[in-house]
Amino acid sequence: MNAIERAIPVDELELSNTLLAANATGCGVRIIGGDTLRGMGARPHIGFEIDTTAIDGVVDFEPEDLTVGVLAGTRLEQLSKTLAQRGQMLPFDAPLPGEATVGGTLAAGWRGPRRHLYGPPRDWAIGSTVVLADGTVARAGGMVVKNVAGYDLSRLYVGSFGTLSVLVRANLKTLPIPQRTRAFHAALPDGARERALAQVRELSVAPSAVFWIDGFTSADDGVAGDDGRLMLLLEGTVDSVDRGTLDLRSALGRGGVPAARVVDDGASTALQNIVDAYVSALGQRSITYRIGSLPSDAMSAAETAAEVARRFALRCERIVDIANGDTIVRVSELDAQRLAASMHAFDAALHERIPQAVVIACEHPERESLQVWGREPVAIDQMRALKRRFDPNNILNPGRFVGGI
Amino acid sequence: MLRERLIEALGSGAVMTEPEDLAVYAFDAYTAGGIPAAVVLPSSTREVAAVVKIANDCGQPIVARGAGTGLCGGAVPVAGGVVIGTSRMNGVLEVDVRNRRARVAPGLINLDLSRAVRSDGLFYAPDPASQKTSTIGGNIATNAGGPHCLSYGTTVNHVLGLEVVDAGGEVFVTSVDDCGYDLSAVLTGSEGTLGIVTSAWVRLQRLPEATGVWVAAFGDIEAASEAVSAIIAAGIVPTALEMMDRVIAGAVEAAFSAGYPTDAAAVLLIEQAGYAADIAACENAIAAIAKEHGAVSWRSARTQAERDALWAGRKGAAGSTGRIAPNYYTQDVCVPRSKLPAALRTVERVSRDYGVTIGNVFHAGDGNLHPLMMYDKRDLRQVTAVVEGGNAILQAAIDLGGTISGEHGIGFEKRGAMTRVYTTEDLATMARVRDVFDPRRSLNPEKIFPAGTRCAETTAPQP
Repeated sequence: MNAIERAIPVDELELSNTLLAANATGCGVRIIGGDTLRGMGARPHIGFEIDTTAIDGVVDFEPEDLTVGVLAGTRLEQLSKTLAQRGQMLPFDAPLPGEATVGGTLAAGWRGPRRHLYGPPRDWAIGSTVVLADGTVARAGGMVVKNVAGYDLSRLYVGSFGTLSVLVRANLKTLPIPQRTRAFHAALPDGARERALAQVRELSVAPSAVFWIDGFTSADDGVAGDDGRLMLLLEGTVDSVDRGTLDLRSALGRGGVPAARVVDDGASTALQNIVDAYVSALGQRSITYRIGSLPSDAMSAAETAAEVARRFALRCERIVDIANGDTIVRVSELDAQRLAASMHAFDAALHERIPQAVVIACEHPERESLQVWGREPVAIDQMRALKRRFDPNNILNPGRFVGGI
Repeated sequence: MLRERLIEALGSGAVMTEPEDLAVYAFDAYTAGGIPAAVVLPSSTREVAAVVKIANDCGQPIVARGAGTGLCGGAVPVAGGVVIGTSRMNGVLEVDVRNRRARVAPGLINLDLSRAVRSDGLFYAPDPASQKTSTIGGNIATNAGGPHCLSYGTTVNHVLGLEVVDAGGEVFVTSVDDCGYDLSAVLTGSEGTLGIVTSAWVRLQRLPEATGVWVAAFGDIEAASEAVSAIIAAGIVPTALEMMDRVIAGAVEAAFSAGYPTDAAAVLLIEQAGYAADIAACENAIAAIAKEHGAVSWRSARTQAERDALWAGRKGAAGSTGRIAPNYYTQDVCVPRSKLPAALRTVERVSRDYGVTIGNVFHAGDGNLHPLMMYDKRDLRQVTAVVEGGNAILQAAIDLGGTISGEHGIGFEKRGAMTRVYTTEDLATMARVRDVFDPRRSLNPEKIFPAGTRCAETTAPQP
């Protein structure tokens, strides 16, 4: 593959000029931030890349308002550090925050494990500045936390994979860092699984994340056992976390889970390790899918995926985000060649059972031939029409998104 | 022709064309009105779709209407046409307790949903003051807020998926769990200009284990607003943080005997819901900040009845002003929360300069102001003063970095003000979305976009 040219605009004006020129010639561009989610979507048909990471900086942090204006190329970690200096945070839970950018995370519509408590990143977006395909600079929303003046385009851009516009700046609500964050790790014998999870659902202090994990040693936590393991996160005031701890211990006891390891320092790292594992590929020999389902269906989706993997003799590792109903499934072979032999048949078989499965990480050269977005959304016609109206020459990440958008 | 076809599709009991019936649908809670050609009350998605097709055939625009509690003329048929009332589509269609969600029809009254799921230990969080009458469909159209969106977020955060009849009378569905563009997000708050919601999946919350409700009184309104800013700046986000001034507290007490002090210049109503252990600590922290900022009294509601009475007073505040003047106009602006003291100074100045009695009752924690401007509509001088004073408040909010509507919407009333916060390019970008969903501008015409926006949007080529 030839080296692809890359433009690195430093501000909105340069970005606008770059897009204006591309649009005039109908030249497709791939928009990238930290490229941490390169495993999502099809490879766009492009002439060059636009790297947004030079358009960076926390430009308008208003700690007293609990709001922040941040440029799209800012790394999540940098934003977190700035917010943390004033005791604030954003519960985005995106993988690889040292590389991932605010723009990329929003464009990908990343939905992390704590969203059942805090809402997904789009719920924190209150305003935006974007550049459209024709170079137009357009704003929506503002720096206030409630705003119904006109269409909520900021939220429409979130999750649009850079196919409607290129984000330059996002205005976000922030929230105070909880007083205490505590992680619990426990081995979970298969025989106790159902009972334990039922107990966890009834906890009076709702955990901010609950995972059942099988495999994924990169997210390892020192809990041994052949079966899966459980990871929970409690957040809140010191009092509520202490009470939640008591509740949780007795619930796990009732559920037949012998002991849980408690982590206070490093609880956030434990969560981050799991989220990083979502997109960690085993060289070219693995494919990772994300399966969204109702929380009540998540464990059975995970079982189904394992069953299909067994049919193709693929190793199968799983993370189930119980509270949101997300299942992460990583299937792998001993090497890339062996994976090539079964991956297409597996992909078809998986989608037959779980049509909504989406590929989120895969470095295999043949990943393009997988059904990377799963089934098309019902409203695909409306989506295509929006794409045509915003980007008539189809230059923004052409072909990367669902349904060939 | 229109009438006959509508009756053929819906039956005569669901179609109104007599002037005395149409007059009822000429207004919402805004002052301007418009007489529709017909009003229909469909009972199903299929009937809504049929009405849209018939209206299209007859060249009539379509205005969807919930309870008509909107304050900005969003449901007023200013260009005539067919009003689709959702009052007969008012059921809770499904409740999924395990996954904490419900599917509802658009005409369901907001409060009825929380009532229906209460026994399951759940509630629906968005709670506009109109929640006893306003509908979920209308709430979705305006992305309605309410006191509790300080911590729970506005309606858009609670919509999981929509069934929509589009401008051509076809049905489509959206889901926040689908890949692809977040159509639910852009449809929410689009004020009936992109489609008509015929059912919605919404998120339910677990009822909190404990709730604290407190009232703090202040000697002047500026001190109260500084206390609000300080609470937020301290990183405390209560579930609700509401303010009312002496004018409103007096009216509320006269009407409800809700338990507010009437001798204070400003009163804060503060609620924190959550775990029992946290409530007391939260009270101490907020009370300390309030006292630091000059609170002259602090009271904790001791019983559920006391809490309910305080909230009933708050939510009935606007209505209670009938004792002060025959009419009131509610302005709705939102400013960055630290700008609250400055915004309230402007409101005071406007009251003085324009000679208008203004009561303040608003979502202080969000920076969302609702100055209630009292007047008598039979007195032209007073009407003029309210219009000009309201405009001055609007401009002041913009100058403070705020916006022209926090939660009521743009509707017909504020469409002209959109150019004050958005550029031609910003508005043309919004119009691109309209082009996709309603290319002929038949859904709720003359709303949101300033008159003449079409000129701007033709700068971009049609696909």
